[in-house]
Amino acid sequence: MIEIQNLHKDFGDLKVLKGVDLSIKPGEVVSILGGSGSGKSTMMRCINGLESITKGKIIVDDFDVSKSNDLREVRKRCSTVFQQFDLYPHLRVIDNITLAPIAVLGQSKEEANDKAMELLNSVALGDRASAYPSQLSGGQKQRIGICRALAMNPSYLLLDEVTSSLDPEMTAEVLDILKILSKQGITMISVTHEIEFAREISDRIVFLDEGRILKDLPKDDFFSESGGKSDPRIARFLSKMGNV
Amino acid sequence: MYGSDGFTIYDIQLWAEGLSVTLSIFLISSFLGLLLGCIVGLVRYYRVPIIGKILMMISEFLKNSPVLVQLFLVYFGVPALIAFDMTPNLAAIITLTGNTTAFIAVIVISSIEAIDFKQLEAARSFALSERLILSKIIFPQSLAIAMPLLVGLAINQLQVTSLISVIGVIDLTRVGDIINQRTFEPFLVWPIIGATYFIMAKSIERIGARLERRFSAYHISNQI
Ligand SMILES: Nc1ncnc2c1ncn2[C@@H]1O[C@H](COP(=O)(O)OP(=O)(O)OP(=O)(O)O)[C@@H](O)[C@H]1O
Ligand SMILES: [Mg+2]
Repeated sequence: MIEIQNLHKDFGDLKVLKGVDLSIKPGEVVSILGGSGSGKSTMMRCINGLESITKGKIIVDDFDVSKSNDLREVRKRCSTVFQQFDLYPHLRVIDNITLAPIAVLGQSKEEANDKAMELLNSVALGDRASAYPSQLSGGQKQRIGICRALAMNPSYLLLDEVTSSLDPEMTAEVLDILKILSKQGITMISVTHEIEFAREISDRIVFLDEGRILKDLPKDDFFSESGGKSDPRIARFLSKMGNV
Repeated sequence: MYGSDGFTIYDIQLWAEGLSVTLSIFLISSFLGLLLGCIVGLVRYYRVPIIGKILMMISEFLKNSPVLVQLFLVYFGVPALIAFDMTPNLAAIITLTGNTTAFIAVIVISSIEAIDFKQLEAARSFALSERLILSKIIFPQSLAIAMPLLVGLAINQLQVTSLISVIGVIDLTRVGDIINQRTFEPFLVWPIIGATYFIMAKSIERIGARLERRFSAYHISNQI
């Protein structure tokens, strides 16, 4: 369970998050939509403590993100897939995936390698285990990014625009993997501009606007005329994203 | 020898002794400078308050003043300040260590800052400790970035060691001077001494290039 209570985040004078309340139950797939600069990334970064919290609280499975003793436990439970992949360039693919499981979870090298190979095979990259990231395409890198996140056996998978630096073909190959994942019971929080993808995988859609949650609705309600689309800002956003 | 009766077999021994003094002072000061430079660089990188500032001010002084002046300061200044029996060799090691430290610190900081910081955030998000991030992610990558700079510095510092002959260290340059004064064969002595430095510098370059290749294996960017 992720519990975000009255979350405020300022950068100096700039108030980015202005009281966000959101709770995410185990197994839920939640998509975060919203315009550029609405605070989506900032909220995601607050969840695993990459950004400090100005006011409010985030609790992940009874662990408080802003308590330094709890942060490690929070991070062990939440894995992130990054927009720019952010793989470790000096490590081979397999070592990119096994670094944290060995160092943080205390897995043996064999155990971590076996799990990594299993994940790599599941994203059709089993033959690239000993390549360096610089030898891979963007789509391949992002599939490795997904493997790296999953290797931690996370309870929560955080995705922040994981396909927005990919061309359409590579986007499709990454989204296909995420679609399969979303059906496997892992809790997913996904910031995306891929409306069709959000509509397909999500249980709930949360719409952020200027640092506040404008709507938090079950998927079908969100996309109905009487639900989410009744709000002109959401209707405008959806039509701008090519979804009428 | 060489058709000149001024040279004796002992000159070879003298040359070898000078070489070993130059080499050992170079190696000791480089090793200590590397160690201290890494510490100073890290203190600075992690923004340790006060100490970081002080160390950086000292480094700035060491980088921006002549090594010869620093050498005199250590050799003549320190014994005047505290009753201490300073030998030329010790003064040389202290000065060159300090000077190397200052340059290494700069290399350390710039090589760390050249790393894409977003991957460090990624590592943090996977609960890796700062210590592990330093040893598993920052260190190997900054080493690859720093390697050419370190090789350049080492070659430069090797040449700088010739200054220590001024305070009476019997190094390779001083040996050249001694033999030259006795034999009056400058066009024989100095090319040999010069060639000795040249060979040492080239060896450093060779070893450096090999290490560089090894540490930056991941830069290969051929799509397969
Ligand atoms: N480290 C920072 N320092 C100062 N301002 C920041 C920082 N990070 C984000 N901001 C500002 O906070 C606001 C929200 O940024 P955020 O990245 O959360 O938006 P977003 O909803 O993810 O937008 P996008 O869809 O473009 O990714 C923006 O105005 C941004 O400039
Ligand atoms: Mg963003």
